[in-house]
Amino acid sequence: MNKKLSKISLFILVGVLLLAIFILPLLAATIFSFKGMGGKGYSFINYQWLIEQDGFWPAISTTLRLAILAAILNLSLMVPTMVFLHLKGQKWKPLVDAICILPLIIPVVSLAIGAQVAMPGILQNTEYELVFFYVVIGLPFTYRALDTSLSSVPLKTLVEASRSLGSNWLNTIIRVITPSIRSGITAALFLSFALSLGEYTITSLLHWETFPTWTVVAAQQNILGAIAISVFTFAAAIILMTLIGLSTHKGSGREIVEEEHNYGMAE
Amino acid sequence: MSAQKRTSSTLELKGVSRHFGSVKALDGLDLTLVPGEMVALLGPSGCGKTTALRIVAGLETATYGDLFINGVRYNDTPVNERDMGMVFQSYSLFPNMTVAENIDYGLRVRKIDKNKRMKRINQMLDLVDLGPKSTSYPHQLSGGQQQRVALARALAIEPNVLLLDEPLSALDAQVRVQIREEIRRIQLDLGITTLFVTHDQEEAMAISDRVGVMRSGKLEQIDTPIDIYNNPATPFVASFVGMANRLPAEISGAGNVKVLEQKIPLSPLSGNLEKTKSAIALVRPEAIALTDEQDPLATRAIVAVKSFQGPITKLGVVIEGYPLIHIDLSSKEARKLDVGQKIAFKITADELMVENV
Repeated sequence: MNKKLSKISLFILVGVLLLAIFILPLLAATIFSFKGMGGKGYSFINYQWLIEQDGFWPAISTTLRLAILAAILNLSLMVPTMVFLHLKGQKWKPLVDAICILPLIIPVVSLAIGAQVAMPGILQNTEYELVFFYVVIGLPFTYRALDTSLSSVPLKTLVEASRSLGSNWLNTIIRVITPSIRSGITAALFLSFALSLGEYTITSLLHWETFPTWTVVAAQQNILGAIAISVFTFAAAIILMTLIGLSTHKGSGREIVEEEHNYGMAE
Repeated sequence: MSAQKRTSSTLELKGVSRHFGSVKALDGLDLTLVPGEMVALLGPSGCGKTTALRIVAGLETATYGDLFINGVRYNDTPVNERDMGMVFQSYSLFPNMTVAENIDYGLRVRKIDKNKRMKRINQMLDLVDLGPKSTSYPHQLSGGQQQRVALARALAIEPNVLLLDEPLSALDAQVRVQIREEIRRIQLDLGITTLFVTHDQEEAMAISDRVGVMRSGKLEQIDTPIDIYNNPATPFVASFVGMANRLPAEISGAGNVKVLEQKIPLSPLSGNLEKTKSAIALVRPEAIALTDEQDPLATRAIVAVKSFQGPITKLGVVIEGYPLIHIDLSSKEARKLDVGQKIAFKITADELMVENV
């Protein structure tokens, strides 16, 4: 009885807190963003203003492009590295762990300025230099996501089983290792992508225009527009992440595997 | 119809050593398995048995020595070209694949035509009696079922040699016995040369043609289970295989050993013993029998533990100054005995193995 009661009160407490600091402000902002001209009535006028602003679409496209590239680069760097560390390079793990955590310790400002100087000239002049920074700041997160996932499967035995059954390394990576750490790869992809979408400091320091930096400038011109921007960003982020989540989950679905090779009991 | 069409292979290890730094995990192992034979490598952990198996599989490289299969040197053949069927301790099934897909894995890699693969999969599923589970995932199976799938997967590729790396150690006692009998049945059925690594002597004795007892990277003795048990070549084998009481002993001049005031011939296999050092005699629990209370040469003791095990009953008896002595009696004979009762017994062994301590 008592236990049940305390469980209910905990639920209520969490609910109230959630409502007060998360849902209410968000709801208020959403309603406010639909206010009409001069604060009268409701309309899409603020969103219309947002879309019509100079640089809105280019900023979104740049951000998405950079985030996708960063996520791909990050994973193609980290997945093989982490698999190697777990299979053969256990002794190197603390070192790589330390290196991957550096981006959290080094102030972004010094990282941005310092690393940019060292960047090859060809890259310095394009927005694609940002991809490398996004990869670096994503390292601590992808490291941990992949590490957890790799630790939860008996990777060494699975690889040895695959090899002894006659499989070469490439096939082992594609058919055994990758599917067993799919959850970790999804999480790493998520984190890297989300981080790149919202990155502001480095982008701003290096004077590039992505959606976050564009937003800051645009928001200074129109108060209601600024709120529309934040509601838009929030909704877009949720939709985007849900889509990624759904698409990566589908890949691990059982139905597909069963359809592909339907072993009957036919004699 | 036999599922195995290929004739069985000969497996030969010649002077195989594996050094890890200064540690000799394997020290000059010579071992030959004749076609269709099942040999168990038995020993405590760290004796090198797993290293030997992994060298055969190609998962470990030998520092010295050669490996031959059907007379062909295999030292430099990569793992994936060796055609070895390996069953691991546990959790080696691919979690994202069904039972049938797991069995199919090795066949697919070999680019075998689809109809043949399907036929082979069904054959293997029948062999391990798991037909209805073909579309289940590993996590939906019991430990015993998982190991049967692992066996089917290893056998599907018609391997040269079957390698079993403690395949039963993660299973419950009851399932363990069941699966080991199934492994033996299938092994005999297919006539496949099999190397089986285990630390469980009962397991090794129960299903192998020959048992090799290993210690510190060396083979101490390799023989049939009966000979390993009855005629151990060294004191280590005697104490590792089967149960043995370790009783303080005195070596007397005429090739005799004095244990519990009884004089018994010393086994010549005991090796070089130093008379000045203290010695231990190894006495099997079944080599002790009850005698008449009146017998002046009998040893007297008090029953401390009595454990009924079906046809036999195990007694633990105490004598002041000795560790608990284990005696195996027929349950019929033990029926009249109670804990706390005084008994008289004699060692009935023809000769005793003795080692210095």
